[in-house]
Amino acid sequence: MLIVKDLSIERLDKKIFENISLSLAPGNITILKGKNGSGKTTLLKAILNLIEPSFGSIYWKGKLLKKNLYDFYNNVTYISDTTSSLKKLTLVDNINIWKKFFISNINDSQIEIALKTLKLDNYLDKKVGTLSFGETKKLEFLRLIIENKNVWVLDEPLSNLDDDSIELMKQTFEDHCEKQGSIIFSSHQNPGIYVTEEMQL
Amino acid sequence: MKFLKKIIFFYYREYKLNMSGVQDILTNIVFFFLSIFIFIFSIGPDKETISTVGVAIVWTLLLLSSTLSLRKFYQDDFENGNLLIIHLNGFSFGFITILKTFSHFLFVQVPFLLSIPIACILLNIPNDKLLYLFTSFGIGSLTLSCLGSISSSMNLMNQRNFLLGSVIVMIFSVPIIIFSVGIINMEQNFNSLINILFGILLIVFAINPWASGLCLKLSIENN
Amino acid sequence: MKFLINPSKFNEIADYIFKPVLVLSILLFGLGLLFSFYLSPDDYQQGSTVRIMYVHVPSAWLALLTYAIMTFYSIVALAFRIPFGFIFNTAVAPIGAIFTLICIISGSLWGKPMWGTWWVWDARLTSVAILFIIYLIIIFINLSFENRVVREKVVAIFVIVGSVNLPIIKFSVDWWNTLHQPATISKLAKPSIDPSMMTPLIIMTFAFMMIGVAIAILRIKTEIISRKSNLS
Repeated sequence: MLIVKDLSIERLDKKIFENISLSLAPGNITILKGKNGSGKTTLLKAILNLIEPSFGSIYWKGKLLKKNLYDFYNNVTYISDTTSSLKKLTLVDNINIWKKFFISNINDSQIEIALKTLKLDNYLDKKVGTLSFGETKKLEFLRLIIENKNVWVLDEPLSNLDDDSIELMKQTFEDHCEKQGSIIFSSHQNPGIYVTEEMQL
Repeated sequence: MKFLKKIIFFYYREYKLNMSGVQDILTNIVFFFLSIFIFIFSIGPDKETISTVGVAIVWTLLLLSSTLSLRKFYQDDFENGNLLIIHLNGFSFGFITILKTFSHFLFVQVPFLLSIPIACILLNIPNDKLLYLFTSFGIGSLTLSCLGSISSSMNLMNQRNFLLGSVIVMIFSVPIIIFSVGIINMEQNFNSLINILFGILLIVFAINPWASGLCLKLSIENN
Repeated sequence: MKFLINPSKFNEIADYIFKPVLVLSILLFGLGLLFSFYLSPDDYQQGSTVRIMYVHVPSAWLALLTYAIMTFYSIVALAFRIPFGFIFNTAVAPIGAIFTLICIISGSLWGKPMWGTWWVWDARLTSVAILFIIYLIIIFINLSFENRVVREKVVAIFVIVGSVNLPIIKFSVDWWNTLHQPATISKLAKPSIDPSMMTPLIIMTFAFMMIGVAIAILRIKTEIISRKSNLS
């Protein structure tokens, strides 16, 4: 449903990458590999229409992304390399804010199951600022589940996680694809996940 | 309907964020009163002098105190990626600035509005001027919030020099101060001066989404 | 006319006209000073001090003109994505600042014998002081931000937002009854100033304008070179 054609981006007159094409259909996973600084985050941001490409275009459900932006944003969740939970508030406050703000149709029992699997259910009343970095990252993934959207765009999701959590993430990705969702993520390690398409930058 | 709900829950989020750290709002108020004390100490306790310059002191200190909180306007949300997430939830950048301006007005300027009567007692300002001070501050503070939004969005990419944002706010608030203090001291021209204040508010309110939205978009692009 | 928008065409034409503009400015300056000091009459009220007008008024006009052209180029650069507008903003802001400073200082020197005071807080002086501060802020913004793409757009937005000050300066002497002299030269009415004083005024205006153009050419060329070599 998401098609990228011949994308080139330059910034401050330096070419970051050129002639990138990829496609993301429901049920597929795409991984972006590349060294640090090869432009993985830039490509992901261009897919989200945050950076103007200097050449090429992106299509969503057949129309140009720029003209179909509202529908695209209704179907996509983005996780960046910074964690977006509010550090001054407790876990349960953050979850409530996310549930309300994203008008999520997920019920509480599913969130409880997710918390148990992510091993965060003991931290419900603690402030997010007291958690470790890996645990805050796992909280980000809870946002993915709450938003409950089709397309997941993730920037380095598996960095800073321990092995158990990486296994958990693999399972989550595969479950999501079985439900006809699609994932595009970037990583500079080799995670051992079964991917449909691999793009080397 | 969904859009309206999103707006309401955005304000729920802002409320939770600001009320969890109530000490930030209270620090602003304490700064305001402390600077009134400093003025009194430097002018002297003579009642006549104080009531002449009282209105001017209140307005200047309101301006300075509201520039204190500019750091919290966009910087925190920008740094932890929340600005992007709010944008991806369906709000354009211009609309985000309008929402944030109102939230800044509610959580920073309204406490000042509520502390004006106490300041008037301290500075010996007569009661009839109190009403005019309220009106002019009510309109002027929304203008100050809009200017604060423009300047702190300009400052997002500038990690070094924060005072630049305050300077930009102060320079465009000069006409506001001229007309607001003018209202209070010249009651016979009240209608015309209120209209000019409203006019300035409308102009700045219209420029705000365009200018701040563009700066926000630029800073996300170039992060 | 392309040289006003295209940097490389500007470089060609600038090389061509720089020396003539410099020579012309020196000539006009000499001629203007000659007229101001010797060939124009004394004012019947103010005596010889009126001659400060021949420095004060041209620099005021040019400060406003510079800002107006900067606003125009900012709008063009933002709306039509022409990068020359941003180059112009960076290059010309200090020139406008110096013109405003000359205007304020010469005005103060003129005001002391005339009105008895160095400074008074009336509408025109206050708004010209604000114009000077706006120029300074533009220079500071140019120095503080590191990322060039963000910096030039922020400067352009600030110039446009600050252009609100221009009508206030121009019409402040009409709107408020002030100490400063109301406008003598306007397009819609016959100027009420005597031709023998008008001539040195016009000559000095053109002299200042030519000097401004010469310095602007140098600064724009410097800016184009530093952009090409990615120094900024």
